[in-house]
Amino acid sequence: PKIPKMLYQRFIEIGRVCYIRLGDHAGKSCVVVDMVDQKHLLVDGPETGVPRTVIRLNQVAITDLKITIPRGCKTKKVRQELLKAEIPAKFAKSSLARKAAAKAATANLGDFERFQSRVAKTLRNRKIRSTVKKM
Amino acid sequence: MRFKCAELKEYQIVGKPLSKTNEKTPIYKMRIFAPDEIVAKSRFWYFLRQLKKVRKVNGEILRMTLVSNSSPTKIKNFGIWVRYDSRSGSHNMYREYRDVSTTGAVTQCYRDMAARHRARAHSIQIMKVEEVKAGDCKRPIIKQMHNSTLKFPLPHRILKYNKKSIFVAERPSTMQ
Repeated sequence: PKIPKMLYQRFIEIGRVCYIRLGDHAGKSCVVVDMVDQKHLLVDGPETGVPRTVIRLNQVAITDLKITIPRGCKTKKVRQELLKAEIPAKFAKSSLARKAAAKAATANLGDFERFQSRVAKTLRNRKIRSTVKKM
Repeated sequence: MRFKCAELKEYQIVGKPLSKTNEKTPIYKMRIFAPDEIVAKSRFWYFLRQLKKVRKVNGEILRMTLVSNSSPTKIKNFGIWVRYDSRSGSHNMYREYRDVSTTGAVTQCYRDMAARHRARAHSIQIMKVEEVKAGDCKRPIIKQMHNSTLKFPLPHRILKYNKKSIFVAERPSTMQ
């Protein structure tokens, strides 16, 4: 029998890889190791430099990556499972990580690079508009 | 700097009444949760005065130590026995909280009492704080987190948008 697709694909669960949006460790990915309550998670990111801490749920975005770890397991084990599942590489390919990297890149643009990107955008939009007009 | 919203600290305060003659006086130890040392000492004398015939004038504090958190990365269940004054009388309560530290749990308790019972800090007395094993917990809100395969989605997630995008052309997606 066909198993229907669930409405919610991403869950907050033990082993879920999360992306920290806000706070001290913003911009890094981490793994949910335990849950304190409905609004706080115990999180650990041995490969990204996130220490084992409690963070709030609203600081975090869920990714679709997940590893299998026992509840509250040690950081060493978390690192082991992360590397086994090749999470750092997979996460770097995710749209969240790529968008964050692109944002960081634009923030570090120099004046000339900003001019170049503006020119490139103008040329691109000009082309798009002229093609649309011809349609 | 001391912040009102900061977590309380746990102090172990040992004090005793001074003796006019050179006889030995009993020594009392208390576990005080306070934002700083000054309040901790004050609360120590407040409680000691209620429980024993000692006053700050007639006593001395022998030792005050800041108790640090033994396992800040392990989530524990805390049972807190509280006595508080409501508008019409004094009541005992047993409350449970889940936190990484005792001080975190006690701070949660104060916030919770203020929220649920409008009890101010001065009318709350923390009688006992104990780490409770998962099996011995009584409150369903705490027990619901004791599931080793616990998982939940974040349906209709409304994130705080920054002021730059307060008006947008399309309705933002609240999916995960």
